[in-house]
Amino acid sequence: MTENRNDLKKIIMDTKTLPTLPSVIYKLNSLSENDKSSIQEMARIVSSDQVISARVLRLANSPSYGFYRVSTISNAMILLGVNVVKSLALSSSIFAIMEKDIVGLWEHSLAVGAAANIIARKLGLPECEEIATAGLLHDIGKVIISIKCNNAEKDILQLVRDRQIYTMEAEREIIDTDHAEVGGWLSKCWFLPDKLSEPIAFHHDVAESKNHRIKTAVVHIADILISASGFSDSGERFVPPMQKIAWETLKLNEQLLADIIDEVEDKLIEVKNFSLEIMGN
Amino acid sequence: MQKIPLNNAKPGMVLARDIFRGDSPIGIPVCGKGTELTEPLIARFANMDITTLYVAGHPVWEEGGQSIDDFMRELDNRFSKTLQEPLNVMLHNIYKTHLIKSMGGESDRKSE
Repeated sequence: MTENRNDLKKIIMDTKTLPTLPSVIYKLNSLSENDKSSIQEMARIVSSDQVISARVLRLANSPSYGFYRVSTISNAMILLGVNVVKSLALSSSIFAIMEKDIVGLWEHSLAVGAAANIIARKLGLPECEEIATAGLLHDIGKVIISIKCNNAEKDILQLVRDRQIYTMEAEREIIDTDHAEVGGWLSKCWFLPDKLSEPIAFHHDVAESKNHRIKTAVVHIADILISASGFSDSGERFVPPMQKIAWETLKLNEQLLADIIDEVEDKLIEVKNFSLEIMGN
Repeated sequence: MQKIPLNNAKPGMVLARDIFRGDSPIGIPVCGKGTELTEPLIARFANMDITTLYVAGHPVWEEGGQSIDDFMRELDNRFSKTLQEPLNVMLHNIYKTHLIKSMGGESDRKSE
């Protein structure tokens, strides 16, 4: 099993074998690290690839963010921030691989993004868009497991069905790691900022998140709400336990949660429509 | 009240909330609540890019007509592993209440 784990880690850390990411993303990365580059310059890079621009705009207009009518890349950069657009370009490229095959996971991710956004807004937290992005990307490890270890993925799903356990438990048994950890490795590999990588890596174990516990807690709760509402099939059959530490970190109470759930449930209809529209094309 | 996609809207349904242009509450109001839908009205909404609307009652039933009992059973099933956790018990109750509220009870269901 340890061999398996090391192998997997090697495969994931080796950028050469990752699903090829468009060169635009790397250019964007290096530009955004340079203090002297302007938003216009970065927008121009993204706009130069019309497929990526279309995907970024599509995600920026998705119910996960709730900005309707973001029609240009530079608008998206200003409204959402460079970091968000960067991770959008990245995630939309990954999602493009999964959306036809793993529809359930794609819908689940969109819904968690939307729920995370609603929770963050309700609680008046800063950086709602980054939190929504973290929600959108939280299960990215599952995508990689599915791409990289197709056989293992089948075994995992089988095990989840046969023994009625959580996906995490099945993953640990079969590949000796889990999608959260894989997502964590991946975000290191892609140099995602901590505020995205922590929620991705610790959305099932909020206590481990040291620097961005609030964001991680929001994604944790959003994930649970979406499983609880039974929206779409992400492969998870049971609602995971809500961690007390997440509850306390966000200072939630029952009434607040009920309000959030009302709003999330409303939003889910939009998410479903959005996804149907995309799948129809 | 139920929120439905426009392509599920049928003549005879009654709007439960105002409709705004661009599906946004800051848009221009297009049609007031209480209006009964007609074919031309629905076609107009489609032309205005309106994608969702709220209608009274619970007129649209998907997936082979699941009843509130089916939804309840599924909900209980999803929570079956975590009902010893106090936070999940509370969550379960909130969802149960929400489900009953959003379904408007079984009486709204039209037999087809």
